[in-house]
Amino acid sequence: MLLLEQLPVNYAPVAFQFFVAVGFVVVTMLATHLIGPKRKTSDKLTPFESGVEVQGNARHPMSVKYFLVAILFVLFDVEVIFMYPWAVNFRELGILGMLEMFTFMIFLLLGFIYIIKKGALNWE
Amino acid sequence: MSETLNYWLVIVGILFVLLNIAAFLIWVERRMLALWQDRLGPNRAGPFGLLIILADTLKLFFKEDWIPPFADRHVFVIAPAVIVISVLLSFAIIPFAPAIQIVDLNIGLLFFLGMSSLGVYSIVLGGWASNNKYSLLGALRGASQMISYEVFMGLSLMGVVMLSGSFSLRTIVEAQKDYWFVLLQPVGFVIFFIAGIAETHRLPFDIPEAESELVAGFHSEYSGMKFGMFFIGEYLGITLISSITVALFFGGWLGPAFLPPLAWFAIKTAGFILFFILLRASLPRPRYDQLMEYGWKILLPLTLLNLLVTGGIILFLNQP
Amino acid sequence: MNVFFYIAAAVAIISTLMVITRKHPVHALLYLIVSFMAVAIIFFQLGAPFVAALEIVLYAGAIVVLFIFVVMMLNLGRETSLQEKTWLNLATWLLPGVLGAILLIELIYLISTQPNETLTIAEIEPKAVALSLFGPYVIGVELSAMLLMAGVIGAAHIGRRTIKHYHRFLQEETK
Repeated sequence: MLLLEQLPVNYAPVAFQFFVAVGFVVVTMLATHLIGPKRKTSDKLTPFESGVEVQGNARHPMSVKYFLVAILFVLFDVEVIFMYPWAVNFRELGILGMLEMFTFMIFLLLGFIYIIKKGALNWE
Repeated sequence: MSETLNYWLVIVGILFVLLNIAAFLIWVERRMLALWQDRLGPNRAGPFGLLIILADTLKLFFKEDWIPPFADRHVFVIAPAVIVISVLLSFAIIPFAPAIQIVDLNIGLLFFLGMSSLGVYSIVLGGWASNNKYSLLGALRGASQMISYEVFMGLSLMGVVMLSGSFSLRTIVEAQKDYWFVLLQPVGFVIFFIAGIAETHRLPFDIPEAESELVAGFHSEYSGMKFGMFFIGEYLGITLISSITVALFFGGWLGPAFLPPLAWFAIKTAGFILFFILLRASLPRPRYDQLMEYGWKILLPLTLLNLLVTGGIILFLNQP
Repeated sequence: MNVFFYIAAAVAIISTLMVITRKHPVHALLYLIVSFMAVAIIFFQLGAPFVAALEIVLYAGAIVVLFIFVVMMLNLGRETSLQEKTWLNLATWLLPGVLGAILLIELIYLISTQPNETLTIAEIEPKAVALSLFGPYVIGVELSAMLLMAGVIGAAHIGRRTIKHYHRFLQEETK
């Protein structure tokens, strides 16, 4: 059996805060649920469409453009994450670290220039 | 045991103050907008119309808590809770004053970035669960906007991290004893503030809500305090971005000694909150394609350039 | 004994089980987010705050957003849950489940026969991560940059359609 020793740093306040925040949200939403009136009228049973009769439903496939943005976001987020540790330890890494990061950014920019040239970021 | 009790008191106290600020901002925003647009604003209930806050809150509580039969019940209820909880958690790392901070994490900034990236779910899930076409469109736009601006939101803060050599907000504030980082990182500050507006989807970047075309977007179908949650989340988000900006770029609690540190922090944060409202009063809403292209094609390369230039200058100055 | 560790571990296991058993894709993804956050808390406990933060920023904050977009784009919903229902019947999962349980029992037995040993957890600061990442493992960083570049280039070709113009005048105009 592995026994874990308590860490010197205390993260418990974050947990406390989480419980307080959840408590606030739950109490508020329960209160409004219990206090508010309940009236079911036929108008409320359909989605709001500016008073026009509802056409079809909202489960439409969406444009692939949004999906492309999501993919690019994930890829660039991973690249950006590599820069966080570099930035925090910038002075110790010095010129060598700067050159390494420069190479890294060149790869990033090559991909970036490619998608701009291909027009993947143009919203028609 | 008394230490634990102390934690609880500080946490409950801070959350209580924050929620009151969020409620107070309803009145502030309406009065300031009125001032800038040459109107009176709410002035009937109580002194200066201050009781409008109470009236608004009570009204929200006594509204019908409607869960549409066509919606996805569970996701519909979870979505508004997510944004309030994630924003409230972000406040854990903010140093309000030397003695008032819930926890000083050595990854403080990353904690903030993680929590703000969780805020996306509130919008995308709320809009999806509503099963309404307007909501779905608002959610898609909102989520795409938020994730696009999130890419360089973290990156724009890295200049500050390079200067102070730490992710801990307390260390960053203390590193600004001689001069505020806004003087060394003006580009980083501007980009972070723009990204912050996009993250809280405030005007001029309120395209997910866009009253005139999407009738409130992702929260069209919400009522009562569930709608109130989105509202509180937005005001808390403004307060969060303002206080992070103050802590990172404007010296946090540091200031001349005639006022206590907490007062300096509060004054600077209030200034940025007013600036948020001024933006709403003065700027038109851009088109969606303009917003996205501006983010990806201008701000992202600019952030990278800022990082490289900052690094180059620091290395140049540090040379023996 | 650290209570938070065991709470987070239990949450991680339960939510991951829910990811597998939920039939609606969006509900499964919600549990996946919870699972990632529980894993992040475990990393905190093990003295790796930097990895914990990355777990939330990257997995919970970015990759699941992509999954949700996929669900919304492909319009997965009622039909998919029906399909899941037919896939997840008793006959399919019974044998793998029993075999997996045997392995689990064996694992628990092996762990419980080990002598007790207290691990002292040292907290790894973000700076230490940076020193090893841009020190001995710099090749890995640059290689991943290349890989990500390939990913970006691949992404540029998603959803691109070549518009065919059947009229010869139109064709010349849009060239």
